[in-house]
Amino acid sequence: MTSIVRDQWYVAAYGREVGRELFSRTICGESILFWRTEAGDVTAMSDRCVHRRFPLSQSPSHLVGDTVVCGYHGFTYGSDGVCVAVPGQTRVPRTARLKAYPVVEQDSFVWVFIGDPDRAGTTRIPRAPWLDQEGWTAVSGMEPLAARASLLVDNLMDLSHETYLHGGYIGTPEVAETPITTEVDEDAGIVYVSRHMADAECPPFYAKSTGIQGRITRWQDIEFTPPCLYKLHSRIAPVGVLPNDDGTDPDAFHVEVVYAITPETETSTHDFWAVARDFALDDDGVSEFLRENNRTVVLQDVVALDVLESVIAGEADGYQELSINIDTGGLAARRLIAKLAGGAEVRQPASR
Amino acid sequence: MNDMLSGERVMRVNWLPGSDRLRGRCHCGAETEAEDPVEMWEWLLAHPDHPAGGPPPAPVPAALPPPPAHLVTDPAQIRRRPPVPA
Repeated sequence: MTSIVRDQWYVAAYGREVGRELFSRTICGESILFWRTEAGDVTAMSDRCVHRRFPLSQSPSHLVGDTVVCGYHGFTYGSDGVCVAVPGQTRVPRTARLKAYPVVEQDSFVWVFIGDPDRAGTTRIPRAPWLDQEGWTAVSGMEPLAARASLLVDNLMDLSHETYLHGGYIGTPEVAETPITTEVDEDAGIVYVSRHMADAECPPFYAKSTGIQGRITRWQDIEFTPPCLYKLHSRIAPVGVLPNDDGTDPDAFHVEVVYAITPETETSTHDFWAVARDFALDDDGVSEFLRENNRTVVLQDVVALDVLESVIAGEADGYQELSINIDTGGLAARRLIAKLAGGAEVRQPASR
Repeated sequence: MNDMLSGERVMRVNWLPGSDRLRGRCHCGAETEAEDPVEMWEWLLAHPDHPAGGPPPAPVPAALPPPPAHLVTDPAQIRRRPPVPA
């Protein structure tokens, strides 16, 4: 029984990772080759030559114009994955073609569709516009996780763990103490978890990046569109400073923390993380601080979840879990993912 | 706190401030309170047949059974232990 939801778009890479060098990554158990055509478009196809399964990402495989040449016997494939040349003969076998994947470059990510390609066009690609938008500055990275994706979903949906696992970085006592509100939109496939702290300690992550001295009003609004994209809308302001009635919010600092949770295999995950901000846009010091600090926080999660995966893998199934109020959002996310795994469709918005 | 999602079929669970209670609201207007998020989601997802009276209270046995041991089946988990110095 697979835990990976198919017929969905997943983040496979940042656009900056894919160029005129052959690039390979395993997504949902499928080894995929990525490269850019001379026109700059990203292509995605199976990373195994149909001849003897030599990885096309492996040197001396290489690009020649808009074709990739296998480094073992020279089978040559076009950007659509169809073989255009084989060594020593003029006839190319009709079956000489690689599985090609629908691919979309959007919001700094390369998205790839895993499943029936005919369903790609009608399946939602969730947005994270701040990662590539005027008025925002973003830092980002990816950490390999030796743990199943569901453990990262659990982790991110319940931020009360910040108080304990990330104390001194983003955790303060108020996070675990403050009640949450959870909403689920069945049609849109969204889980939304709000934690609004009216008067909270300012953790170093925000004190040093915003320059705020003293206590803060801190809002955490999680918007998760299963199975892959997680957004934390974070609002930081001096205590008592609220948005204006017209919705404008000039006196607050806004940080969009984005995670793409992409299964590599059943028990390993690509933990893509990004932090976008609407302040200190040109301040490289703030960028470097947020990059290093968030990466440290991500690595704290990685250590914990890698241990948890090893424990779960080494123990018998069937242990009873205990869930309390802090788990309300995580439980909702699990159920929505299970629903998607069962073949439920998420309504495609009118535009994307 | 204001509702954040505006869809027509949104289910909501509010953790009532100052308490351990959860308040669940279905898009059909049904509402209830409970203390267990698992039971709360089951009650909400029973739409349109929400059980009358809200989620059942968690059963409280007269005497708690002893907590189970965690059985470790993967030898790799066991071999990881360091030796005890002589």
